[in-house]
Amino acid sequence: MEFLQWLRDTDAATAIRESESVWGYPTVLFLHTFGMAILVGLIVAIDLKMLGVARQIPIAPMKRLLPLIWIGFTINAITGLILFGIDGPNKIHNPAFPTKLILIAIGMVILLAGQRRAFSRPGRASDKALAVLSLAVWAGAVTAGRLMAYVEKLG
Amino acid sequence: MTAIHSLVPWLDATAPSMFIKNHTWVWPTCQVLHFFGLIMLFGNVGLLDLRILGLMKELPARPLNQFVRWGVFGFGFSFLTGLIFFVGQPTQYMGSTPFYIKLSLIALAGLNVGAFYATGMFRRVEALGPGDDAPVFAKCIAAASLSLWIGVMYCGRMLTFLGKAF
Repeated sequence: MEFLQWLRDTDAATAIRESESVWGYPTVLFLHTFGMAILVGLIVAIDLKMLGVARQIPIAPMKRLLPLIWIGFTINAITGLILFGIDGPNKIHNPAFPTKLILIAIGMVILLAGQRRAFSRPGRASDKALAVLSLAVWAGAVTAGRLMAYVEKLG
Repeated sequence: MTAIHSLVPWLDATAPSMFIKNHTWVWPTCQVLHFFGLIMLFGNVGLLDLRILGLMKELPARPLNQFVRWGVFGFGFSFLTGLIFFVGQPTQYMGSTPFYIKLSLIALAGLNVGAFYATGMFRRVEALGPGDDAPVFAKCIAAASLSLWIGVMYCGRMLTFLGKAF
């Protein structure tokens, strides 16, 4: 807690948080949205494929989306750390925040441990269940993330 | 423009606008749905764009249109929730530069789709079999599509910071 307050008060954190420039906080926030669109958008496309969209084509080539998904994830891990660093004491008390982190972790496990196997061995009975679970978990993560801005104001 | 400006105070006082203002759950709920829409749009339309640009070349292009339908569905989601934002707080949007740029970029993205069909690129892309390379002009349209939607996202994010504060 003291560490988070110290981090929040560092010159770098204060500069990003309070700068009038669009290249400070607004740009970090945009990149976080951009990373999310890549990460979740492409995972949703994989989910839809597993649920039967474009049945005529094989799923295997969609494994080439994984590096892009990792790029989106990395952008968001970095910008997420910055957003947390500049406002840790408030974020840590926001119930939407741990909810979001847990759902992202579950979503990544579903993708890497479950869905990735569908690229090499498609057509398992569990594919559809995994895809539905993935959609639900990412919908939850996005909802929790978006609501952080509003839950904060209530508390 | 003046005609539109005079509509704003009227819209601001209408029953739907008051409903949005008086119920605090409406705005955050629409924000969440607006994001769901943008994710569906970007991921699914992006999939076809990426194939045209040369990723996942083993795939024939035509079946990817089925993903684009979900992208269009996502756009509908974001468009409707965006309309709700505008009706709820019209005074915040009128005169906002990032808002005008955002609408212009959406219009350009629409023209880009129009060009895709009008120039016959749509048919050339539909004919792409596994391993086929897309025409250069189709790649330009795909790159423009990705860039324009990223620009739309950027302007959306900047609404709060540039122009009038929300």
